[in-house]
Amino acid sequence: MSKIETTADRAVPARRSASGTFARIARYTLVRGLTLVITVIIGVYLAILIANGGGYVDKIREGQIREQISLSIAGNEALRDMTMQERREYEQNLVAIELSRRGLDQPFMVRSFRYLWNGLTLDLGSAEYLLSDSGSRQVRSILGERLGPTLLLMATGQLLLFFTSVFFALFLSRRYGSVIDRIVVAMAPTSAAPAWFYGIFLILIFAGLLGWLPFGGMVDAPPPPSPWLRALSVIKHLVLPVGAIVISSIFYTSYYWRTFFLIYSSEDYVDMAKAKGLPSGAIERRYVLRPTLPTIVTSFALTLIGLWTGAIVLETVFGWPGIGRLTQMAINLFDTPVIVGTVVIYAYLLALTVFLLDIVYAIVDPRVKLGGGERRS
Amino acid sequence: MKSDIILDVRDLKLHFRTRKGPVQAVDGVTFQLKRGQTLAVVGESGCGKTSLVKAILRLLPRNIETFTGEVFFNGVDVMKYNDERFRKEIRWTKMAMVPQASMNSLNPVIRIEDQIAEPLFLHEPGISREKAMQRVAEVFKVVGLPLDFLQRYPFELSGGMRQRATIAMALVTNPELVVLDEPSSALDLLTQANLMNVLKKIKHEYGTTFILITHDIGTASELADEIAVMYAGEMVEQCSAEYFYTDARHPYSRKLMASVPTLREDKELQFIPGQPPSLINPPTGCRFADRCEQRFGKCSEHPPVTELEHRQQVQCWLYVNGKGEVKHA
Repeated sequence: MSKIETTADRAVPARRSASGTFARIARYTLVRGLTLVITVIIGVYLAILIANGGGYVDKIREGQIREQISLSIAGNEALRDMTMQERREYEQNLVAIELSRRGLDQPFMVRSFRYLWNGLTLDLGSAEYLLSDSGSRQVRSILGERLGPTLLLMATGQLLLFFTSVFFALFLSRRYGSVIDRIVVAMAPTSAAPAWFYGIFLILIFAGLLGWLPFGGMVDAPPPPSPWLRALSVIKHLVLPVGAIVISSIFYTSYYWRTFFLIYSSEDYVDMAKAKGLPSGAIERRYVLRPTLPTIVTSFALTLIGLWTGAIVLETVFGWPGIGRLTQMAINLFDTPVIVGTVVIYAYLLALTVFLLDIVYAIVDPRVKLGGGERRS
Repeated sequence: MKSDIILDVRDLKLHFRTRKGPVQAVDGVTFQLKRGQTLAVVGESGCGKTSLVKAILRLLPRNIETFTGEVFFNGVDVMKYNDERFRKEIRWTKMAMVPQASMNSLNPVIRIEDQIAEPLFLHEPGISREKAMQRVAEVFKVVGLPLDFLQRYPFELSGGMRQRATIAMALVTNPELVVLDEPSSALDLLTQANLMNVLKKIKHEYGTTFILITHDIGTASELADEIAVMYAGEMVEQCSAEYFYTDARHPYSRKLMASVPTLREDKELQFIPGQPPSLINPPTGCRFADRCEQRFGKCSEHPPVTELEHRQQVQCWLYVNGKGEVKHA
């Protein structure tokens, strides 16, 4: 058997699939992209409908406007001389102007589509009540201000949690049945309580009793002047909330991944790798981690999406100026533009992550690469 | 120094720890295997065949209670090797295997050629990729797979093809001994026959020694020089294939043979009543006694192995002191 023959034999399938593969991937990407765009549109529109209470919030707002205007007219000395009739007309007039200024004179269904278009083009408008720290009413700057802190807190916490638990789980799956493994399994139910629950205890112990760490907030007040000291101060404020995130979930996620790895390390091909004489490190990398990479990547991507939403109660407990706390305030105040703005940004990030995930999938899993379209040979 | 005996297993024991007590999956198995010969280990499901393979190749699960005995490979007791030395010196260079359900034995995300070449890169460090691929193509041809499947992924191959790829993988480092654990049990009859032909060809061309684990005595007959019968963790009979098919001695072997349909004879197929004993607390005497039609008083004690003519070894009281033939009508 000659070598030339081998290469010739091999070239056949490669050539046959190369032409079709590109077109298929392009078509697949296009279809996926379109699907995601439609999903985002539907998602944002639903958010608009819900945040406006299907138009009911408008009635509340109209009532508030009316009340405000009538109060301001009643308190206005210059208008004392008007008759009841005139005053009512004047009031109607002002209300109509205010309603049309806010666009509330058009039917809700018409406006909902305008909101949709504005939202999708990231023209998020201005908030009804909330202000950014710099005093702006622009939803965009309010959100922009809050995104950073949330990302800092959630990324530190969740990424630390994710990587610690995955590698800890690998370690545990090697020591299945050992004392430490049993301890982790026994502790898994502690994750039933949310992070803020542990946060309260952490604050109590480390801020209240011991006084080692601050109670809450993101930097010392006033913030230290030098950037290094400021960073240090932020890190000091991060310890407890990040600790709460990690402690609340570490046992459960380790337990989850450990069981996951245990299942996949009892696959026949793992035994085979052992029989082939592969060292245990290589078995773990090539025969356990590599085939399970798609699942791990998915979970990681979902973690990434989760970073953007923040954590409403945790941020409130720790006085962290993030998206979570903003969302809660916006909901309390019926500040629809802020709620919708949050949802729009979240929807876009979600769609983008899913889209990227599809591509990463095709790279890490050969079965997906060909599974996209119908296989013809 | 290489003797004629490639594998010499003495009193091999493998007991698993379970909640109900130790499972004596392999209990004192002793056998010898000559270079270039094929030993077929037959027996019903759960008799410890696969555990025997695992014990020889040291592919042990975590719940080991006892793992003792001697395994001489080319005259050296490899049971004394530590895990690392065993991995480097024995695994795949001397002993390779084709596992049960070998269809699932290929890593789904690595190309076939890379998987087959993996043992080469591992055990012959410094081998060039070109040379390795040449060797891979060679074994691929031996097992009768078209070369354009080399660059595919396992999921693109049919079950029979994957089985062959696994066999190719076992041959790639030229091991002296290949253990086949029910290589054809998941395949249809035609593919099975095909596979047996491939194995026969390999046996003749390369002189590879095989241990063939199977519950299918018909399949075993195609390849085997020696037959060993396992029952409830023990090896109850071992003899050359020549005599086994016509003159099995152990009552269990006879029953087993009587249950196999043959082409030329018109015989009524028999079955063995009852079930094999639990391996957790097996009977202290002969383990087959409960189902044996020829049992007598002695059977409550553990029978010794008796060697009869033609090197036929039987673990049964019937043959102690030449009693055997008299008892059998």
